[in-house]
Amino acid sequence: MILAQNFFMENLNEFWQFTGFANATWQHFVMLAVGLFFIWLAIKKNFEPMLLVPIGFGILIGNIPFNTTAGLEIGIYEEGSVLNILYNGVSAGWYPPLIFLGIGAMTDFSALIANPKLMLIGAAAQFGIFGAYMVALAIGFAPDQAGAIAIIGGADGPTAIFLSSKLAPNLMGAIAVSAYSYMALVPVIQPPLMRLFTTKKERLIRMKPARAVSQNEKIIFPIVGLLLTCFVVPSGLPLLGMLFFGNLLRESGVTTRLAKTASNALTDIVTILLGMTVGASTQATTFLTKETIFIFFLGFMAFIIASSSGVLFVKLFNLFLPKEKKINPLIGNAGVSAVPMSARISNNLGLEYDPSNYLLMHAMGPNVAGVIGSAVAAGVLLGFLA
Amino acid sequence: MKTLKLIALAALALISLTATGQARKGVLHINEVMTINESNFVDDFGGRPAWIELYNSKFAPLEISSVYITTDSTTSPDTWYAVPLHDVNTKLPKRQHIVFWADGMPSRGTFHTNFVLAADKPNEIYLFDSDKKTLIDHVTVPVLAPNTTYARAKDGITVYDKDGNVDVAATWEVRNDIDEGKYITPSSNNVIEDRNDKVEKFADKDPHGFGMAAMAMCIVFSALAVLCIAFMIISKIGGAITKSNKMRSHGIDVKETPREERPDHDSGEEITAIVMALHEHLNAHDNESHVLTINKVKRAYSPWSSKIYNMRQLPHR
Repeated sequence: MILAQNFFMENLNEFWQFTGFANATWQHFVMLAVGLFFIWLAIKKNFEPMLLVPIGFGILIGNIPFNTTAGLEIGIYEEGSVLNILYNGVSAGWYPPLIFLGIGAMTDFSALIANPKLMLIGAAAQFGIFGAYMVALAIGFAPDQAGAIAIIGGADGPTAIFLSSKLAPNLMGAIAVSAYSYMALVPVIQPPLMRLFTTKKERLIRMKPARAVSQNEKIIFPIVGLLLTCFVVPSGLPLLGMLFFGNLLRESGVTTRLAKTASNALTDIVTILLGMTVGASTQATTFLTKETIFIFFLGFMAFIIASSSGVLFVKLFNLFLPKEKKINPLIGNAGVSAVPMSARISNNLGLEYDPSNYLLMHAMGPNVAGVIGSAVAAGVLLGFLA
Repeated sequence: MKTLKLIALAALALISLTATGQARKGVLHINEVMTINESNFVDDFGGRPAWIELYNSKFAPLEISSVYITTDSTTSPDTWYAVPLHDVNTKLPKRQHIVFWADGMPSRGTFHTNFVLAADKPNEIYLFDSDKKTLIDHVTVPVLAPNTTYARAKDGITVYDKDGNVDVAATWEVRNDIDEGKYITPSSNNVIEDRNDKVEKFADKDPHGFGMAAMAMCIVFSALAVLCIAFMIISKIGGAITKSNKMRSHGIDVKETPREERPDHDSGEEITAIVMALHEHLNAHDNESHVLTINKVKRAYSPWSSKIYNMRQLPHR
């Protein structure tokens, strides 16, 4: 009887050692609170719910405490676990190109094709990346880590994950969460900067309506775009290749089914897996470090520099443009590639000052140029530092 | 159409043939050779035969089965050592090495050749592809002292002189495991890299990141500027073609009609007026579904236990 009682108690004790309660640390609870905060932001405040719900719930999944020495093969970093297999798309960097395929299939580049000079705004906004790179170096990060962190300034989650998986895999979780958090906060971060750097007169500039773009031009765009950008930066091929491929599926007119799958089902599947696994990768033990705080600070800096440099570049550009071709600097913020959020902000702010001045389609030009620009910038960093 | 298909197929076949022939040339290299092994690397039978190290310089796995290794290319290919098929170990991972034991005992396994290396005279080592004609790599190994190797200074790298000939002295070196940096490295990199040189250089030469920022922004700007210029040109050509097609459809001769008389562009107002007129005239509007769906709400039992309410309905905010 006593033997049976001992056996029973031993097993219960062993079971206790496996529970989350026995393995929990205060860091786990901090991370669980962060996950809950993300879910609250997404559901209550409607901040990027498609991203923040999977990431937030992923944080909960990744921070359930368990006995890591038991070899249960359940943790995201334990080889062979289900989460680890799903995480391979992040660690090996093949989710981001699939997302880019979907973005290409969703995006209408007409605004950019109709007014190609808007591409330069997309290029100017990438200064956020390299400005943050300099700050990261000053703080004491190594050049490859600084490059991986700085890409947050491109405002492009998939690009940030892709580059950090190559340059600084140990910082990827923090970089991804930071990039997506700031993307969700674009409506909070950008408008004050846009107001700060523009005069009332500039905000009222009306731009000529974009010309209609022919189907042939839309078909040529992804082909020429791929050839030109990838000959300059071949290291951007995984992202740019998929982006332009997706766009050709959309514009060719003969692969509608493929374009629909790429832009709907495929993107949704990859977004779910990407968001959830990125969230789960933020395990308290590896996530709650001094570096993470620096990364969030640098990400914030990068966003501010990127948005400001886009607006200031338009102002500079206007000095060289004839009066009837002046660009409203409110579309400068859209040079970061948070599509279409930042273009919507340009439009809303424009309407605030002139209720009949619709800037959305004009802002979509630099916005999609920003997607190309950030992929090129990622390729440059990869080429220099990998 | 049929001829076109045939031509395309023939081209495809030609390309794939060329690709097969070229697959291992330039990426599979003889990397290091030891002719007299007295106290060096031990094989899986406890012996110390001479060895030949091959290196895959590709960033992808390389299958090396059916590659031929020989010390005499003038003999019949049937006498050369063929790396056997169906051995999982013949798939060489990216940027990795494999050692072949030149002990004349192929029955000992895939990596034991059917020839031995001469200790007292130079050895010619040839690596042929499966077609027995394509020479993948070749090296003349001089007479070596015991426990020394003849190795590439850098893995898989061949240095060429100004005339395009192989600079043997710069490519190959004798290693004795004694002199600094002249380590014997069977199945391992000849140059051991323990850091990322690029990162080190940037950290050293560009500590504040100004150089990187300037270079990278130039590249980003030029990539998008090139795209911008290309599309300005394409848009001009496209615009001209559209205009000319429109003139043709209006029956206007571009050369004879003065510019001001050409219908260059239809304004938005004109297009709107035409659309409105068509709408009025044809009473046209979009096809819309007239199907109304009314879900009957059953109140026969509590919704709390209903599958209809709990499992099939998604909440909407």
